[in-house]
Amino acid sequence: MQVQATQIIHAYKQAPWRVQRQYVGAFLLAVIGISMIAALYLQVTARSAAAGREIQEMRFEITTIQRSNADFETQLAKLTSTAEMERRALEMGYRPVKPGELDYVAVPGFVAPEPAILRAAEDAVDYTQALPSAYTQSLVEWFDDRVKSGGY
Amino acid sequence: MRQQYAIRSLVLVAGLVLVGLAVIVQMIRIQNSEQAKVFLSQGDMYSGEFRMFYPERGEIYDRNGHLLAGNRTVYELGVNLSQMTNPQALATTLGTYLGLTYDEVYNQLTDSPKSWEYIVIQDYVGTETVTALQELMQQKEDANDNSLSGLGFTPHFQRSYPEDSLASNVLGFVTRDGRGYFGIEEKYNDLLAGNPVQVWVPSDPNKASELPKVPNGTTLVLTLNRDLQAQVENILDTSISNYGAENGAIIVMDPRSGDILAMATTPRLDLNNYTNYFSTYDNGSQYNRAIGMAYEAGSVVKILTMAAALDTGTVSPNTTFIDTGSIDVGGITIHNWDRKPWGQQDMIGCLQHSLNVCLAWISTQMGPQTFYGYMERFGLGHPTGIDLSGEAMGRLKVPGDTDWYNVDLGTNAFGQGVTVTPLQLLMAASAIANDGKMVTPHVLYSMLRDGHQYNVPSQYAGSPIRSQTAHTLTDMLAISLEGESSNALLPGYRVAGKTGTAQIPTDYGYDETHTNASFIGWGPVDDPQFMIYVWLQKPSASIWSSETAAPVFAQVAEQTVILLNIPPDMVRNQFGSR
Repeated sequence: MQVQATQIIHAYKQAPWRVQRQYVGAFLLAVIGISMIAALYLQVTARSAAAGREIQEMRFEITTIQRSNADFETQLAKLTSTAEMERRALEMGYRPVKPGELDYVAVPGFVAPEPAILRAAEDAVDYTQALPSAYTQSLVEWFDDRVKSGGY
Repeated sequence: MRQQYAIRSLVLVAGLVLVGLAVIVQMIRIQNSEQAKVFLSQGDMYSGEFRMFYPERGEIYDRNGHLLAGNRTVYELGVNLSQMTNPQALATTLGTYLGLTYDEVYNQLTDSPKSWEYIVIQDYVGTETVTALQELMQQKEDANDNSLSGLGFTPHFQRSYPEDSLASNVLGFVTRDGRGYFGIEEKYNDLLAGNPVQVWVPSDPNKASELPKVPNGTTLVLTLNRDLQAQVENILDTSISNYGAENGAIIVMDPRSGDILAMATTPRLDLNNYTNYFSTYDNGSQYNRAIGMAYEAGSVVKILTMAAALDTGTVSPNTTFIDTGSIDVGGITIHNWDRKPWGQQDMIGCLQHSLNVCLAWISTQMGPQTFYGYMERFGLGHPTGIDLSGEAMGRLKVPGDTDWYNVDLGTNAFGQGVTVTPLQLLMAASAIANDGKMVTPHVLYSMLRDGHQYNVPSQYAGSPIRSQTAHTLTDMLAISLEGESSNALLPGYRVAGKTGTAQIPTDYGYDETHTNASFIGWGPVDDPQFMIYVWLQKPSASIWSSETAAPVFAQVAEQTVILLNIPPDMVRNQFGSR
């Protein structure tokens, strides 16, 4: 009886080469899994590193552009300075006006325009407020917002 | 045999394991030792660097948006010594482009300590020079010539003043260490400079996004009108030359708001060459005489005495005074400017002929308590609070002071023995030009930061006199100018004002030969929109302010009405009646 049982077990036991293949397969699966994770990690890291570099370069570019802007602004101011404008006006044959030579016209409702520098400040948009709420709201805030608005 | 190999193998394995274990133990020991912490911290030092991020200094504009103070890019030019291959070539090139001698550069490059990695050859090098050098480097690189390797350029900002010396006394300047001196640059230095941020910048590019965004310094918009400022400076310079004055100051202010529209003084400094400061000025108070230098202004103070007397009801415009040419106050005899009697005068006559005796009589009628009470309320002896650095207080002696004598009540009434700055008198007189309300003068119109605008509101510094008094006195002053056909009159516009010719006090009494010539005035009388103060120091063409300061007032007023678009009285009244 015991001999018969052993024979049955032997009959159903996998062949040694199959077991070996399973081990190799499992090992390879683990290696592939780890390789995939490593590759993913590497890719994400490489992309974030590249993005980081890009951000750095863009920041440098912004700084360079800001410097250029400041330079251009100063150059423009130099070219339109009082001394320069007066010199150019005299060269073009203009002369300073006398009070008696001026004509005044009443324009109802006329409001003298504000200088560009002040207008620019008034027109400035707060971009943090212009962002869609999806970028600034937490999940709880969004849910609360929906409940209050009667969406649910 | 097999057993012998097995034993050898075991011994070899055990030996290797022991060596391995020893390595691991040693690694753990080293990593946890005291020295390891030092090494770690040293390692951290190279994992990045602390870097200070300086914001761009805020710009300064005039009220019409013209740039008065901006920034331009300049470069720090240096050499990385570890990358340097040819110091001779560098010395020759840099010497030529930077205006230095060959030896100067060569010695710097070769004599520097061994531990130095980098040396600065010159800072604040202009863009043109750097561009030329960069082009040269590129040409050499293209020709595989690396003789200029190691040369580097680090850009940074430098303050720049496109109008050079225009309004230099108001703006002040910024030195290379980034600190503002005098005027707006000093007063608002913290706002303009912004907040520098020091951050740890890691070498790891993954952490690049941790770099901070440093907001620029606050941009300031001033109340100054650039074109008027330029005209006033021209008039001042011409007047000083024509009248042989030593120096001078002119202020134009809006009496309704306290906005300073122009403030010109001499001498002025080219702000792009601020290092000439020490050769231009003897002391800081000379930088802006309009606010920093107190002086005895003389008869222009009479308008404050008259305002006090009218306000208290001590006199009215029709009150008569018999001028005998002298009056005794505190045991001292006070004379008129011409030492002559002027007979019967009303109060307009007293102002028109600038009679010291009459005004001394008025102050004695009021008494010291009332007189000095009004002078205090007009702000004499106190700074005006203008938003410019370096303001002087002047001095008003009052009863109780050790150096106050009874005669001072009489002399102070016509401006002798009391020192004021031009701006103090302008502020005091603003009460007369502005319905009895005295304004605090200010230069800042608006601040701009992060796209937001903050306007500076006008501030009133009290109401020392009633509105009716202000109107009455303005009318009296206008009549007195018209009555003497003053040089201060401006055709088409009714103006009010008063001259002031003051002797100059010295250590040995008053200077008999020189005077300070002043004029204060405002207009149009029915709706004052500008106030002008003129001060000429020691004019040699004439000692009388009616012949020097008064015509200067008229010239400035003419430019003011043109540039501020103020129509003549007749045109304004026509517009008003429609």
